[in-house]
Amino acid sequence: MQRCFSWGLCCALAAALPQAAFAQERTTLGGYGELHYTNLTGPNTPGVVNLARFVAYLAHTFDERLTFRSELEVENAKVEGGQPGGEISLEQAYLDYRLADWLTLRTGLVLPPVGIINETHEPPTFNGVDRPGFDTDVIPTTWREIGVGAVGTIPGGSGLAYRVYLVNGLRADGFSASQGIREGRQEGREASFANPSFTGRLEWARPGWKIGGSFWYGGTANADSVLGTGSFAAPITLVSADLRYDAGGASFRGEVANISVSDAGAIDARYGAMVGSRIAGGYVEGAYDVLRLLAPSSPVKLNAFVRHERYDTQASVPAGVTRDRSLARRLTTLGLTYKPTWNTAFKGDYQIVRNAAGVGEHEVLSLGVGYQF
Amino acid sequence: MALALALLLLAAQNPAAPPAKVAASIARVFGPGARIDTLRVDSEPVLRVSRADSLVGFAQVGNVLGKDQPITFLVAIDPADRLKDVDILVYREPYGGEVAYEPWRRQFRGKTAADSLRVGREIRSISGATISVHAVTLGVRRLLADLTAWHQRGAIR
Repeated sequence: MQRCFSWGLCCALAAALPQAAFAQERTTLGGYGELHYTNLTGPNTPGVVNLARFVAYLAHTFDERLTFRSELEVENAKVEGGQPGGEISLEQAYLDYRLADWLTLRTGLVLPPVGIINETHEPPTFNGVDRPGFDTDVIPTTWREIGVGAVGTIPGGSGLAYRVYLVNGLRADGFSASQGIREGRQEGREASFANPSFTGRLEWARPGWKIGGSFWYGGTANADSVLGTGSFAAPITLVSADLRYDAGGASFRGEVANISVSDAGAIDARYGAMVGSRIAGGYVEGAYDVLRLLAPSSPVKLNAFVRHERYDTQASVPAGVTRDRSLARRLTTLGLTYKPTWNTAFKGDYQIVRNAAGVGEHEVLSLGVGYQF
Repeated sequence: MALALALLLLAAQNPAAPPAKVAASIARVFGPGARIDTLRVDSEPVLRVSRADSLVGFAQVGNVLGKDQPITFLVAIDPADRLKDVDILVYREPYGGEVAYEPWRRQFRGKTAADSLRVGREIRSISGATISVHAVTLGVRRLLADLTAWHQRGAIR
């Protein structure tokens, strides 16, 4: 009798459900992009306009569990043989197999879940025309590698979510003094799997809050006979932490990271790159939506922000390498972000670029437009 | 081996399982043992919830599109057309699942169709879940307006 009742209830409730949501194959299009105008101070530095990114998002849902997701990117508008600049690349391309809220298996070209910008890089999500320098020179966004992993939320209303992946490693032959591990990325192009690497993130969320911690660990030797042929030869260890908070019209965010390049001495001797044995830094940013004061009923936002970054790609150097103090950078960015909708942004900022050596210091005026859908 | 078996068993379950989730959600919002009847307004199904022959509220299930997946949610109101609670029944995307967290959903309680519900104002957003936050907020606003209008003109009672 009890069983009868619950079946009847279930049938009644099934009738109450809209049918559209269930089990149909479908393809979704989306995208984001950004246009930049930049003008450096100093003589003979004319302004430059650049269609910095045009990205098409394509997803296909096969059934309730299986979804393919991808982003195809054109950088700098045009790619032509023999000409510098321009890039066409896949920024992400992976299959998700959803088993439960707490477990989705993922395989393909994935974004290491490190810091704020690498995974959430759509222009309306951050202030400033360009991404923070920290998220270029320390955390090498947009960082993507091929691998397998798992993502999900930790049940019980804990507010915790995790992502863990096993991916191909970085290559030490790409490391540099000024951009650290950046050019060691393989980005899915016939990537060497000599050094499987682990990366992951744990984050905690509440309305207005998100706090996260991330890591990367893996070898970089790529079976080079000098650096070592082991899976974890010439390892790097990255740890990072980040925070985002907003209340009323105010918002605050910050990121810090530390990268240890264990065998920097051997890497520098082998490739002459002068990569630091420690790469470290971070930034803090505060913003306020001034339209809260001027037009309280308006849904439009005008964020005035200031960001201060300090990072050094040679925070420590191995014996025999002379530290280049111009790599200890200090960037202060002041600007405005006008957001007529939450997913479009018109931006302007003024960046003061300084370093510990006082070499090549300059200022940059930037204007930009960004969108996502 | 045990891991592979556990994954297979997980995969064998129905990820949607909606009727059971709706029943559990109604029990959570209105308390256990409530009677649920399905009404239809303009061919839209509405759940009427009562206990001992007295009305305790209405609920409706809706879908909004997140980044690429529908988000299935439930809105429940009391007999005075105040929002009792919002529930996320099925969340299918790998990011933005924070909209299912109670501290976020709690912000909607007690709101009426006359109240303004704007992301970043009355409803605080969550970084990294912006698309889902906007989608669910819009969906709640629509269902709350529909339920209130139907109730006030006597289409559901």
